[in-house]
Amino acid sequence: MRTPAHTHPAADDRLGGLLRNDPASLRALYTAHFGPVRRFVLANSGTGDDARDVFQEAITVLWLRAREGTLASGTDPGAFLFSIARNKWLDTVRSAAHRHMNVVHDQRSHPAAVEPDDGVEERLARLRAIYEQLDDKCRTVLDRFYFERKDLAAIAQELGVEEESIRTIKYRCMMKLRAQRGAIGGDDHDRP
Amino acid sequence: MSHSAPDRPTFEAIEAYVLDRMGSEERAAFERRLAGDPALQAEVALEREHMLAVELGGLQRSLKAIGDAELRRGGGSAWGGPLRYAAGIALLLGVALWWMMRPPAHERLFAAHFTPDPGLPVAMSAADDHAFHDAMVAYKLGEHDEAIAKWSAQLKEEPSNDTLRFYIGCAELNAGRSTKAVTWLMPIAELPGSAFAVKARWYAFLALVRQGDLTAARALPFPEDHPYAGRVKAVLNDLR
Repeated sequence: MRTPAHTHPAADDRLGGLLRNDPASLRALYTAHFGPVRRFVLANSGTGDDARDVFQEAITVLWLRAREGTLASGTDPGAFLFSIARNKWLDTVRSAAHRHMNVVHDQRSHPAAVEPDDGVEERLARLRAIYEQLDDKCRTVLDRFYFERKDLAAIAQELGVEEESIRTIKYRCMMKLRAQRGAIGGDDHDRP
Repeated sequence: MSHSAPDRPTFEAIEAYVLDRMGSEERAAFERRLAGDPALQAEVALEREHMLAVELGGLQRSLKAIGDAELRRGGGSAWGGPLRYAAGIALLLGVALWWMMRPPAHERLFAAHFTPDPGLPVAMSAADDHAFHDAMVAYKLGEHDEAIAKWSAQLKEEPSNDTLRFYIGCAELNAGRSTKAVTWLMPIAELPGSAFAVKARWYAFLALVRQGDLTAARALPFPEDHPYAGRVKAVLNDLR
């Protein structure tokens, strides 16, 4: 039996906040580790926006790995993020549009391979495709409940509706998502 | 296994399990049930993935907000100084423009006094009124055109239903279409015995204020014992 998604032990205590979707922890992680990535991308013909994109993608990978419990024990979040972001930017640089660029190698030490190719990109793409099916009103409620971890009473107060209404909306939105996935045949779990 | 959607109690049990919000006994009982029920196992996996997808969406939204702030804070140092001056000048120009182009007094008064009607509670047990409550969900989330379309379809079956007519009027008002709102709300305000008559009169008054038809707004009778009489008086005093 699989362990519930929200109860995987954090691979590192520093990742506990990220696992809880805690805004302060997320911001701290961002500000602590964005600088090296930004410098690397800027030194390799990228822009601030490029740096932001690869760094955010790296955090997303870190988050999913932490959530799935597939981070190695004692993983250094900074080294992990730098390695992922660096590799992503190098992939971009080596792509057709950027093949004439010269890569400036950074002096920072980082593990050679902290990111095994086990389909994490495909899983992220799949999850993003699921989220894309939600309309704005469902996102408004579901984001607050599942991501921000607010209780029904708090959401009801914020949106100026009754708690029971939020409970109903949440159920309907999740069932709508389920029905949409079934309709497009993207529901692996429902197959016998 | 069954492909039908779980009912709400089952969904909420799955949710509590995935979110680790079950007590130890409840969890043990759920896991015993889970062990012998492949359909439930599949449903747990599916809902877990859906919840993870929602969390990922939230994470990306948060990262974007943090990233934008971070770039503003640390990005483009060579341009930081001139951009700050430019931003200051733009702010001053913006304030001046806002002052010159701010809404007229009656619209500001409307904004100061208007609170949208919160709508009726949406209960799962009201299975017979599913269409009405579905529209009410849209209304509560600010999807007013969707709510109006759904209620209008129902109104064809029940043209005298004052609940439908009142909430269509409210949705029109919330959507900023005051003239249409008045045409829906005024008949309800005059409807003897309607539970919505009191609020319909108040919202019709506010709609008239918003559209600048102050003569009609002043002419709308509000007896001394009307629950909104004091607020109407306050608005009219401010309009003088």
